[in-house]
Formats: sequence, structure tokens, C-alpha cells
Amino acid sequence: MSQLEDAATNGEVVDLRPPPKPDEITRFYWEAAAEGRLVLQRCDACSRFQYPPELVCTYCQHEGFEPTEVSGQATLYSFALVERAFHAGFVNQVPYVLAMIELAEQPGLRMLTNILDADPEELAIGMELELCFDAIGEQQLPQFRPAKVLR
Amino acid sequence: MSALSRELAIVGVGYSELSRAGSPEPKAISLVAAKEALADAGLSGTDVDGIFEYRFGPESPGAQDMARLIGAPDLAAFGDLMPTNPSGLGAALAGAMAVASGVCETVLVFRCMTREGGYQGGVSGFSDPVLGGQQFETPYGDSGGILMTMALHKQRWMYEYGRTEEDFGHIAVNARRWSALNPRAVLRDPVTMEDYLSSRSIVAPLRLLDCDYPINGAVATVITTAERAKDLRQRPVLIDSMTYATGSRVDWNFTDDFLYGGTRDCADRLWSRSSVTASDVDVAQLYDGFTQVTVSWIEAMGFCGLGEFGDWVEGGDKIGPGGALPVNTGGGQLAEGRLHAISLLNEAVVQLRGQAEARQVPDAQVGLVACGLYPQCGAMVLKGG
Repeated sequence: MSQLEDAATNGEVVDLRPPPKPDEITRFYWEAAAEGRLVLQRCDACSRFQYPPELVCTYCQHEGFEPTEVSGQATLYSFALVERAFHAGFVNQVPYVLAMIELAEQPGLRMLTNILDADPEELAIGMELELCFDAIGEQQLPQFRPAKVLR
Repeated sequence: MSALSRELAIVGVGYSELSRAGSPEPKAISLVAAKEALADAGLSGTDVDGIFEYRFGPESPGAQDMARLIGAPDLAAFGDLMPTNPSGLGAALAGAMAVASGVCETVLVFRCMTREGGYQGGVSGFSDPVLGGQQFETPYGDSGGILMTMALHKQRWMYEYGRTEEDFGHIAVNARRWSALNPRAVLRDPVTMEDYLSSRSIVAPLRLLDCDYPINGAVATVITTAERAKDLRQRPVLIDSMTYATGSRVDWNFTDDFLYGGTRDCADRLWSRSSVTASDVDVAQLYDGFTQVTVSWIEAMGFCGLGEFGDWVEGGDKIGPGGALPVNTGGGQLAEGRLHAISLLNEAVVQLRGQAEARQVPDAQVGLVACGLYPQCGAMVLKGG
């Protein structure tokens, strides 16, 4: 909280969102994101994608993956409008949209994300989205926004 | 004969005073509930050889604290269940398994919640990097406990079935219809559908009146064998079947069945083990930490088809006093107060004994208790003895 109070005193708008801390399982994901690519685990055995990264394939429990870049094409599965921060790191973010999206590559392949560059009033489940990135700390956070070119 | 290895009975229920204000000592109110449950059964602390409780943190004493307070000579089974369980019912499920297996004979289970010491929903102030699964949630502002996931659920359910918020409003209105008849309940004023639809947004589309009501209180239950129960004070209530469930590829967010989580597996397994069917249920106590959770249980348990709750509920009358399926007859977590659902178990027991006074469901013989939500499901079918 003191970080926030200091910032308030200085009149700055600072990003206090907690960044991800990569680990052995997730490092490939964040390294790819830093290069502007959305790369998911794709199972060597059953060929399915999964998100978020896990130690094994949660469909078939196989342990080998091919990190595979996906298109970033997605549709909106559900969304919520957060107007009050429940976390001090988001005091400067409200209002924001938290969403569940479904990637085009596979039914049920869903990610949590924010929807950027959108009027919440214009959001509708099923609408087409595209990938974008958002700097958080020293990392890049995969995000989605309404598709500029409809598929 | 149930599917359990020994026949079980619930023989005692107890409560502390439930309050919104003040900051009672958790040990003190837990002991009040435990003593009342033991006295209700005609037992004392020296008869207890198993204790299980469910907690998040300092809002509740532990099982060993309780053993010391009630004077249990020794514990043959015990556990402090942390919050991945099917809410407070997890303590009762664990206690029942301990007795059914013969590991212990008489178990006390309890849940204590205090507003001051308790977990209030994940409000956080730390900007430190996040680990594990939080890497894919917290940086997006998915914080505040499960409130945001609940908002995503509510939105998706309305979309999939082409329904409006009124469906959930029936649960909020129903809670107060019943709590008006329950002197213990903390919220007893009626609410209307208009009140529900104008209640403030928490995380849109989740509203204030979708959420349960944090209180101070403790609730306790005593479970033993059906054989032992014959010699005790109350007409025993028998456990006909019980199960847990998580659903496949279990997770709050990234699971196979986002809308129902483990509730459908829970229902299928519960009914496959039960001597009765959903149509035999006289009274249902279904978790209502959020209104949509109750809707998901009603649909998953087969009282109506998936997505059909809004038409089935007959404007709310179906689940209210005098309705065909009375639901949450004490007012539930929404109105009696948030006790993480051992209170729902106790309410079912009181109904099946015929002791529910103004809110008694006539001739209630079969009770259903379903607790927790999505990845953390548990349920019991109870029968009057």
C-alpha cells in the first residue's frame, strides 16, 4: 500500500498490478509473450492445446508438449465490468473489463483476459476479438480487443 | 441400507447467536454451538472421539482447540479442512466418513465465521509478482476471491439460456420469505424483485443481493452410528447417501464445464447411491453463497432441466413456503447468514425431525443438502428416522 500512497502523494499514475512470476512450467509462455507471440502448450500425444500451462496434459496426462503459437483469433465467452477495485493494484485500472474468451483453435480453449479498447456497452458474447499486448512491469501480458477486421 | 459401510445418524445440532455487529471471540461462540449440539443429542464432550472443522484462517478455532474446550478425552479422528473443500459441509462429510469407516464413533463437526477474524473475499493490497495459477488470473484483475468468476458465470448462464436476471432474483426473494419465519436469521425484512434488480452492482452483472451476508456465528453438528443413535435424545436423521465432486479437469476458471463445474457429477453420483430420487425430496437446502449457485444445484440435481429454472420456479412460489420444493427453509446464507452451510445441514435435520416451528415443511421425510460450488461440491441425502 505504501507504494500506492507514495504515488498518490506525488500525483503520479503508476501501474501497481501484480505481474506474473514465471516458473519452470510457465517460463516459455512469458518469454514468447515478451516477443509479442501467444504460445501455448500443445500435447505431443493427443495434439490438444491447453491453457494455462500445466506440468502434464490435463486431457491425457502425457508429459511432452510442443510450444505452439496460436492465431490470437478469439470470441468473447463471458465478461464482467469491474468498477470498484478489489485489489490495491487495480485502483488506477477501474473501470476495467474482465473476460473469458475462447480461442479459435479449439472448442473450450479459454483464457481469462481484459478486453482493451472497447466500450463496455458494446460488448456482446460471441463477438470476435484479436490479440494484443499490454506491458506489465518488465513483461508483456497477452490481452484481447474487439477485432478490427471481422473474420 | 445405504452405500456407507456403517449406517450413520445425525443426532445433534447447535448454534451460537448469529450477529452482524460486534467481534465475538471465535472460541467462545464455537463452544456455545458445540455444547448446544451435544446437549441436543444428549451427549457430553467425553463422548466425542472425532472432530472436524472447516476454516480459512483465524476466524475459527481448530479441532484440537475444540477437543480441549469440550473435554474430549482423546481424538481417534480429526481434521482442520482448508478452503478447497465443499464449504463447511466438508467437515460433516469427513466426519461421516470417519464414523462410517469405524475410525471413530461419535464426531463433532463445526464451522465458525467471524467478520473481524475472517476472510472477507480476497481484498488484497500486494503488488508482488504472483505465482502458480495466479499468473493467469491476478495480473488481469481477477481478484476479490471468487466474486469475478461468479460475475462471469452469471453473465454466461443468461446468455446460454437467453434468460434475464429475474431468474436469480427469485432466489434472493425466496431467502427472505423463509428467513421471516426463522427467529435466528440476521436478515428478516422482505425483499422484492424490484429491490433485487435495483441492488447495487458488485462486479457487473453480479449484484449485492446475489451475495450471501457475512456474519459472526458458529454452528455445530454431531454424527454417530445409527445403532448408537437409538439410545440418544432425538429422533435420529439418517444419512442415506453422500458424495463429493470436482468435475473433470478441475479448476475454478479453466474447467470443462464452466457453467456447472462438479455439480452435475455430484448429483449423478448422489442419486445413483441413494434409496430415493429427486422426486422424493421434501425439503432442499442448496448452497447459496451466490444466487446462481442455488440455481445450478436445482438444475444439476434434476429438479428441472438445464436452463429451465426460470420457468420451473413458478415466479418463486415453487421454492417458497407452501411450495412443491421448499428450498433453503431457514433463509440460507443469503438471509440467515453466511455460515458456510453446516447451517444448511442443521436446517435439514431440524425439518426432518419436525422441529422447525413456523417454517416447518409438513411431513418432511427426505432432505437434500448440497454444498459448495463448481470445483468444490458435496451433497447428502437425509431421511427422517
